[in-house]
Amino acid sequence: MLRLYSISLVQFKNYQNRSIQFNERIVGISGPNGIGKTNLLDAIHYLCFTKSYFTRIDGNNISQGYDGFRLEGQFEVWDKPEKAICILRETGKKEFSVNDQLYEKFSRHIGHYPCVIIAPDDIQIITGGSEERRRFMDTLLSQLDAVYLQQLINYNKVLQQRNSLLRSFADTGSKDLSLLSVLDEQLVKPGQGIFERRKEFLIAFLPRAKQFYIEIAKSTSRRPASSTAENINLFYTSELLQASFAELLNLNQSKDIMLMRTTSGVHKDELEFTLNEQPFKNMASQGQRKSLLFALKLAEMEALKNEKGFAPILMLDDVFEKLDEERIVNLLQTVCVENDGQVFITDTSSERLVQHLTPLKKPFQLIDLTN
Amino acid sequence: MQFSSSLLENAVNEFARLPGIGKKTALRLVLHLLKQDTNDVSQFSEVIAKMRSEIKFCQRCFNVADGDICSICANSMRRQEMICVVENIRDVIAIESTQQYSGTYHVLGGVISPLDGIGPDQLNIESLANRVQKERTEELIFALNPTIQGDTTIYYIQKKLAAASGEQSQNIRITTIARGIAFGGELEYADEMTLARSLQNRLPVENYVSR
Repeated sequence: MLRLYSISLVQFKNYQNRSIQFNERIVGISGPNGIGKTNLLDAIHYLCFTKSYFTRIDGNNISQGYDGFRLEGQFEVWDKPEKAICILRETGKKEFSVNDQLYEKFSRHIGHYPCVIIAPDDIQIITGGSEERRRFMDTLLSQLDAVYLQQLINYNKVLQQRNSLLRSFADTGSKDLSLLSVLDEQLVKPGQGIFERRKEFLIAFLPRAKQFYIEIAKSTSRRPASSTAENINLFYTSELLQASFAELLNLNQSKDIMLMRTTSGVHKDELEFTLNEQPFKNMASQGQRKSLLFALKLAEMEALKNEKGFAPILMLDDVFEKLDEERIVNLLQTVCVENDGQVFITDTSSERLVQHLTPLKKPFQLIDLTN
Repeated sequence: MQFSSSLLENAVNEFARLPGIGKKTALRLVLHLLKQDTNDVSQFSEVIAKMRSEIKFCQRCFNVADGDICSICANSMRRQEMICVVENIRDVIAIESTQQYSGTYHVLGGVISPLDGIGPDQLNIESLANRVQKERTEELIFALNPTIQGDTTIYYIQKKLAAASGEQSQNIRITTIARGIAFGGELEYADEMTLARSLQNRLPVENYVSR
């Protein structure tokens, strides 16, 4: 079981110094635009992932006119209290500790406090480029499997080296093919491992996501049953399904040298979504896109719960926007009632939060950030 | 920082260029020198100037030396058929301090990292290959950092040696230093990679000497 009981934010975004207690499992956070609802969720994300969900640059999260920030969260994991602290020093150095034990490698913290966030920009997972979907897969698998995360880190390091070498071939005119083959061997090991893990995981994951989608679509559509039979499909595509990574690198060697980058590998993997045999992106309505996003996130939540033995922290940022009443009721039923993990929900209107949370008949806490 | 003397300022700026020395530390060092006898300071600067201008690199192993060959290579008591490959001179000093190694060294001068513009040609790899062939080396010990670049370098040299001299390289024993739990370290704080590796390469108890 995982709970966050309080958080304190110092010089983080628009919070100069503020502590907030979370007394209930379900927490509604309200306040007008710009009050810091999303920033509060991002602070929680920091404590779970050692980094922001929205920006790669830690410095962007410092309050204007200050140097450095500090976040502290009081967690409870299986009834044991834990204190997580993330500090960005004035020098730009980041420190992360749990119970005053500093991490030497931040990657070791990933998965310790599993967490799922649904934010408006996440629709990019459906409509954006393939890197968004790989990021989704990697975030999830990294929380499930520390070996996967390590392989991913190694893969990216070797990939950078290999691409640099390919560029240097063009710059210097000399081709050290034996060095290239050494890097190929170093790339194949984590690359093949990442592929096997993705394949194995997605075999179970994608059908679950599809099921969630069907449930959301079924319950929300007022159209007759026959026309709601949306035929959606989710696939994992990778060149490594056709040939081994070592073979692919060999096959594409001259192409890689010419283009000065690595043209095959798991960094080209893709999750493909189709609706009635057509690309989902092109066919789906706004509502259908959003439904698929929720389906993926709900499946993610379930996968984390199955692996960890307790539900992850769930953060819903502004999800009521553009959703019809029935969908909201359905979503809240799934994440607040059928799920026993902690849930944070933001909305501009506290009335709307009360209106939606009250019928669930579960105790909830309302935090109005204007006070 | 405001200085009343440009001589002082220049000295502080030079010290501040050293690694790990900031302006304030530089000022402290310079003011200390100012208190010393003029002759002592002259000797200090002479030693440094002489060190830089007269020091040589061993033609055989690229360690620092007073002459063409360093004292380790020149020592006939050391096992010449054994070469320990290291990244830089600091590593030689570290291994020498253990007093557990009686062979010779080969200083690469770095590790292969195309990202930093360092290829095999920038390192003393060619000379190592020649040395191995000429000196009938029996064992090559890689003592490089456990990073991806370190691994790249090891694989590259290994391949190069295998390609260079087919039948002779068969007889060379190529090893790397062991990696695992640090002395005085606690198992629960060791990271999974280290622990996993320690389990893979476990030792028979009779070979395990705790000191």
